[in-house]
Amino acid sequence: MSRRKRGEDERFRVRLIGLVMLISLVILGVNLWRIQVVRAPEFRSSLDRQSMRRVRLPGIRGRIFDRNGTCLADNHPSYCIAIYTEELRQRGRWSRTIDKVDSVIDELATVLGQPRQVDRDDIAQHVSRRLPLPFLAWHDLDETALARWAECDQVLPGVDIYVEPVRVYPMGVHASHVLGYVGRADPAASTETPYHYYLPEMEGKAGIERSMDERLRGQSGGRLIRVDASGFKYDEKGEREPVDGEDIHLALDMNIQSIAENVLSNQLGAVVVLDPRNGDVLALASAPSFDVESLKSWKAWQRVRSDPKRPQVNRAIAGLYPPGSTFKPLVAITGLESGRITASTTLNCPGYYQVGNRRIHCWHKRGHGPLQIQKAIEQSCNPFFCELGVRCEYKRIYHMADALGFGHRMGIELLGESPGLLPDNEWKERVMKDTWRMGDTCNVSIGQGFLLVTPLQMAVFVAALGNGGYVYRPRLISNGNHEGDLVNRMAWSAKTMRVVRGGMFDVVQAPTGTGKRARIDGVSIGGKTGSAQYSHGRTHALMIAFAPFDAPRYAVAMILEDSVSGGISTAPQVRFLLNAILTIDGTLSPPAPPVAMEGAQG
Amino acid sequence: MKTAIVAGLKTLRQANILMLGPVLVLLVLGVLFVYSACYVGDDKMVRPLYERQIVWMIAGLVSYVIFALYDFHRFKRISWGVYGGSLALLLLVLIMGKTIYGAKRWLMLFGDNGIGIQPSEIAKLSMIILLSHRLSEVGRNLSSPRELAMTLGLIAVPVALIMNQPDLGTALVFVPTAFLMMYVAGVPFRYLGALGGGGFLLVGLLLGALFLPARMGASEPTQMRIRSLTGLSDYQCGRIEVFFHPDKDPLGAGWNKRQSEIAVGSGGLRGKGYLHGTQNILGFLPRSVAPTDFIYSVIAEEQGFVGSLVVLLLFGTVIIFGMMTALRTRDSMGRLLCVGVVSLIFCHVFINIAMTVGLMPITGLPLPLLSYGGSFMIVTMSALGIVQSVYIRSHRRDAYQ
Repeated sequence: MSRRKRGEDERFRVRLIGLVMLISLVILGVNLWRIQVVRAPEFRSSLDRQSMRRVRLPGIRGRIFDRNGTCLADNHPSYCIAIYTEELRQRGRWSRTIDKVDSVIDELATVLGQPRQVDRDDIAQHVSRRLPLPFLAWHDLDETALARWAECDQVLPGVDIYVEPVRVYPMGVHASHVLGYVGRADPAASTETPYHYYLPEMEGKAGIERSMDERLRGQSGGRLIRVDASGFKYDEKGEREPVDGEDIHLALDMNIQSIAENVLSNQLGAVVVLDPRNGDVLALASAPSFDVESLKSWKAWQRVRSDPKRPQVNRAIAGLYPPGSTFKPLVAITGLESGRITASTTLNCPGYYQVGNRRIHCWHKRGHGPLQIQKAIEQSCNPFFCELGVRCEYKRIYHMADALGFGHRMGIELLGESPGLLPDNEWKERVMKDTWRMGDTCNVSIGQGFLLVTPLQMAVFVAALGNGGYVYRPRLISNGNHEGDLVNRMAWSAKTMRVVRGGMFDVVQAPTGTGKRARIDGVSIGGKTGSAQYSHGRTHALMIAFAPFDAPRYAVAMILEDSVSGGISTAPQVRFLLNAILTIDGTLSPPAPPVAMEGAQG
Repeated sequence: MKTAIVAGLKTLRQANILMLGPVLVLLVLGVLFVYSACYVGDDKMVRPLYERQIVWMIAGLVSYVIFALYDFHRFKRISWGVYGGSLALLLLVLIMGKTIYGAKRWLMLFGDNGIGIQPSEIAKLSMIILLSHRLSEVGRNLSSPRELAMTLGLIAVPVALIMNQPDLGTALVFVPTAFLMMYVAGVPFRYLGALGGGGFLLVGLLLGALFLPARMGASEPTQMRIRSLTGLSDYQCGRIEVFFHPDKDPLGAGWNKRQSEIAVGSGGLRGKGYLHGTQNILGFLPRSVAPTDFIYSVIAEEQGFVGSLVVLLLFGTVIIFGMMTALRTRDSMGRLLCVGVVSLIFCHVFINIAMTVGLMPITGLPLPLLSYGGSFMIVTMSALGIVQSVYIRSHRRDAYQ
């Protein structure tokens, strides 16, 4: 083999392998194109998945005010000590970083003069679960501790003050049923954007806090945190500012609310005060009440929940009571409007009303004798209204009650409102497996039997009696609109109104009226008392009233559980309540000071 | 002395300076991206790596010049000595080498924290020199089986020693480099084909032993017994398994592969910009390998497809220059030296890049001229110096004779 020949062969093979090498590099280039250009988005999202953490930032919860601008629910800054673990990280085992944080907390404890609030396990838990977030070593520091922190000239790395909003209720125990309370939000609730971490966020658990939660809470923002391979925070990539929650202005008048709550003190019951001109809820009280602050401790909360008096139930909207005689004005209107009786129709009260083999007694044992509608209202005569109910036929009473909102939720801005029960034949057949009888009509006509109402429904009803037939949705939030949400305009004739309202005037103003104990000098009131028997001869004492009589600005429904009667138990309390309200708004002059009283007597 | 310098300059005047161009660009890129790969590290050992890389670069350039000046024909006299010396170093490293990450690869000079050298890198060059000498000798019958067995034996000894370190990646580079040299030298293709086929069969058997028992539902102890027959360590089995089942152990053995792919892929077309490679800043690409075996991931992430393609083209140019020198020279040994050096560099480039983009199992092989590392830098630059030496002397053959 010649040298030249060998050289040529070798050169051929060199070219061949050179070509193979270049082709191999082209193959690498094609693969790089595939990964870096074609599949780039896929790898970018893998990158984000492993290095980006989304943190949900709650907006600051809106405040709640009453109609006079008194703050009922507010946020107070709570000062915390935050430890930024990424600045304290140690190389090597995790336990070394945890030890470091632990020792920094020990150091801080001496600086602040505060005992430790967290132990080593808390740190370990934070490191394993919420590493990129600041670790809060102290919550709710007082001013002394803050002052000591401020004076401390040695700056500890990775430690800073952190402000956390805390919900407070400046009025304390007042209006707790209306306001409700907040609790730690359940993070699982929102799933639309997966967040890795949640900052503590409050969520309304009851009352306005719950029903208006969307508006109070605002819109949560988010923060993108970039973490390194160990999970420590590296930097922040971006933030969407949270939108703070809206303030809520209630129609509630805290002055009236406090009086209403005082009236109920030591009793079980409820009071609702409405503005009959637009349905504004001026007061909504339920007793017994609970202290919102106490709910922060689990034990106190358990005590509230296990109390047989059930303080957590808002009786004003969820309490179900037979209305008793306070329902009679409705039957009277039905009778007059349907033309079944007139103002001058006289019916006889022998002291009882015979339905089949059953006698419904009048509270006046010997009977009222012959009487007309206005007197029957004033005297709250049972046989008269039984006879009237039967004459009207039940379906008319039913339609009237239905139009006034009985049997329906009134649509107040609170959860847990009960619709009550307005029975009819269909209901009775379904539930009692029995047909509607005349006795049932008589029962309902005097506000007994199956009929169940809430104090709120009675308040709406008495507001309609006061304002001449306007049924407004009771509203806690007015938004500055004075008109009110009209649900129904009852086509009650002026003549009917004159008779029924006249009867209600007499109830309070006449010396013989059943509600005479509610009378206030200097202002006339229309009202109706009721004493509803329920099981075993126990009585709920009710009263509905509106004042002033000619142009009512207040409609009151009050119920006291287990009392003597509407006229004896409730009427004096309604008097006290209306007297205080009318004094505040200037209709009545404030009571003369005691010295002047003595002088007058002398 | 003066005459020696003048002679040297005269020799260098005949050099192809263009051949150094892509090499210099790659060296500078190497320093820049070693800096990028470790400038955020809080480890005091890792941070100044780029400074030392500059030192290595200068040392590399010096050895380049030395080997360019050195007449490669003189290797004929010392090739056995160099080979024997490198084998001695390989033995020494097995006895008293420093163990890092479970492998004895380093021979420490000047104490434990002094300069470490990797005898396996030197062995690459010494094998290329010995093979080019032997295969180019006039009158040697390359077709005889005895000669073939002899050549294979010469390759097998250093490979076996390096496998024992263990350093599978480096050992694997020897085989294709030697085969390409043998092929160019004229060892009959039927031998090489048979050997290559046998090699593939062996790899097939190995993979079969690793995966088939599990696929066929053999019990855990049986799987382990068959696996132990292959002679691979658990760590090596893990690497291979991860290559075929990347989702199996994403936080353990699969971590580097996955993170390297994410780094390369997320670089996109234009990259994230110099010093902005998040995979490496955030430590997802482990700091211990980012400046060495995974330097290409750092470049690909920060400079995108454009940058990685430029690097690929630069290596292509280095290979083309090497091959052109091999074609130009009339000297058989010079040609084989060029082929050996180019094959070595190509194997490193191909395996390293293929592994960063997930085409091959992670083997731990540095990227020539770019990766941090002293021994390999000096060996690579020396090898390129030899190519230059061949170039300088490529048309002097007739004059000599």
